[in-house]
Amino acid sequence: MYDNLKAESALETKDIKFSAKKVQVFYGDTQAIKDVDVDIEDKTVTAFIGPSGCGKSTFLRCLNRMNDTIDICRVEGDILLDGEDIYDKAVDAVQLRAKVGMVFQKPNPFPKSIYDNVAYGPRIHGLARTKADLDEIVEKSLRRAALWDEAKDRLDTPGTGLSGGQQQRLCIARAVATEPEVLLMDEPCSALDPIATAQVEELIDELRSQYSVVIVTHSMQQAARVSQKTAFFHLGNLVEFGETDKIFTNPEDERTESYITGRIG
Amino acid sequence: MGMLPFAILLVAAIVGYMINLQSARAIRAGGTRLHSLSGFHGMFSALLVIVPVLTFVLLWLGFETAVIERLMFASLPSGTLDGLGSGEVQLIGAEIRSIAGGRVFGTPEDWKLAAAERLLAYEAWSDWLLIAAVAALSVALMLFARSRVAPEYRARQQVEKITTGLMIFCATVAIFTTIGIVFALTYETFKFFQMVSITEFLFGTSWEPQIPIREDQIAAEGAFGAVPVFLGTIVIATIALTVAVPVGLLTAIYLNEFAPQAVRSVVKPILEILAGVPTVVYGFFAILVVAPAIRELGVTLGLDVASNTALAAGGVMGVMLIPFISSFADDALSAVPQSLRDGALALGATRGEMMMNVLFPAAIPGIVGGVLLAVSRAIGETMIVVMAAGLIARMTINPLDSVTAVTVQIVTLLIGDTSFDSPKTLAAFALGMMLFIATLVINVFALRIVRKYREIYD
Repeated sequence: MYDNLKAESALETKDIKFSAKKVQVFYGDTQAIKDVDVDIEDKTVTAFIGPSGCGKSTFLRCLNRMNDTIDICRVEGDILLDGEDIYDKAVDAVQLRAKVGMVFQKPNPFPKSIYDNVAYGPRIHGLARTKADLDEIVEKSLRRAALWDEAKDRLDTPGTGLSGGQQQRLCIARAVATEPEVLLMDEPCSALDPIATAQVEELIDELRSQYSVVIVTHSMQQAARVSQKTAFFHLGNLVEFGETDKIFTNPEDERTESYITGRIG
Repeated sequence: MGMLPFAILLVAAIVGYMINLQSARAIRAGGTRLHSLSGFHGMFSALLVIVPVLTFVLLWLGFETAVIERLMFASLPSGTLDGLGSGEVQLIGAEIRSIAGGRVFGTPEDWKLAAAERLLAYEAWSDWLLIAAVAALSVALMLFARSRVAPEYRARQQVEKITTGLMIFCATVAIFTTIGIVFALTYETFKFFQMVSITEFLFGTSWEPQIPIREDQIAAEGAFGAVPVFLGTIVIATIALTVAVPVGLLTAIYLNEFAPQAVRSVVKPILEILAGVPTVVYGFFAILVVAPAIRELGVTLGLDVASNTALAAGGVMGVMLIPFISSFADDALSAVPQSLRDGALALGATRGEMMMNVLFPAAIPGIVGGVLLAVSRAIGETMIVVMAAGLIARMTINPLDSVTAVTVQIVTLLIGDTSFDSPKTLAAFALGMMLFIATLVINVFALRIVRKYREIYD
């Protein structure tokens, strides 16, 4: 199966990072996700859009097994990362999450200094051998998150003291510091003002050069601005998946058209 | 008879409520809009009657006895009390009072019988006066409230003002009680320090309070150096916290993050039961099970172990404190937002790393607060140490030796023959005062730590 995918993706000259096949997610007896098939490419921004409760966040959380922390949640089907089933018993969820970073809806910096926030991941994964290494990782991550200039003189002040937009960029810096291969973003701009949103969007576009980025968003303009691929979810189904331009200008499914023109949602 | 003023008050409040309600409704029926709902006009009347009149009745009852006694003494034939000490005057007052109550011992003098009769008369007068005053005051306030009923009258704001006042009063009850306790303690402590020097009490290393309080008793000279007593409390509290803090914290961490739902649902209620066990039962456990076990173990190891070891008392006290600390820590850990847990897990932290690096530091204010409250409890705990610790004050920090505690000494000093002008009895108040100051300092310290960390973490 993996070989087939490889062959297909070769046409588009981009590797498939995540490949989901017939994914079903249940919360207790309620089915939240039905038969989702999707391929997520490397070095691409993929947007998940859809009305509230459609399952897009649930599906996103399947990709780094964050749903494991919810007792009643059950995932069926296959999700392959680089051809490896991430729900296989041999896979350690902790190591998976180091490879698949995540940024949440609400900025959630730890109650530590800015430096310690960014250094947290590298420390627990032993990425830096010396203090100088760690300093370098912290600086690089903060630069990548466009926060270095604002934060370099106050690295030892609490991360919680930053503004909302800065906090979210700190969380992005924290996520990229562990050198993940994929970055999942669950509505990263919903708590931010337009200026901070623009900064984060610009950042997402830059991150694309190195990572595969998956972003859940309620803003269709945002999806259109930042993503190359868009997936439209509705009532737990993946209705349509394709090039962002096509989804927004010429959707195949009636429901997609209704949603993006504002008739449902 | 005694309840009559309260009955009048209740009736007046209800009647006032009804009258105001009806007249407010009448205005409403006449087609005028009221500023406040008619119910508020009713409540205004009821509160306006209850609050001042109830305060008046309680004050009256509080001062009644003292005033009547003054009047009675003043009515005695002049010269009767000349040259008598305050104790003897009190004795005469008590005798007259008991004659008035119908308990006559021996054949009292005529002037005492006459005084008792006058006492009864004053009491009857006082009762009638109170009833009259309550009735007059209630009616006056009721009429005043009735006169305020008008469409534009802001009865709701008035009712809210009065209820706010009541809430402020309730909130200050605890504060005033504390101040009262401090005064009572300070007075007796002051009396103690007039007999025993404060430096001997604070720095003396010998505690032998068993001095004679009657001429014919044979006892030691008496020494009031409180250092060994406080040392004993510190030893026991330290042992207790050495047991309780690690066990309690690990329990909380396990239950909060690692325990499966099934385990949690069993262990948490059991811990809550443990928190509800009366301390006297822990005392039994300490003397019947733990102390003999420690002694036997000590004998096996060839150690010299006392029968009332500090280890037994402190260890059992530690078990008592486990649920206290674990429930505080569990609450503090649960209060850390889920988003921080998610954030750490999403970076690839294990649950242990998340707990140690993120949850625990964020929960520190709550945990430290809980631990310091446990310290306060440990040094104030009485029953376990009374039962399981020793009575002799020794200058030792050996946990296998017998030590005593501050609370134990307070209890033994106040049991049996007591006389409130002997330093033996008054020493209990001085010890109590020191204990009060110690817990106060610890609590202030706890609050400061909590605030300091909160500034960093919020």
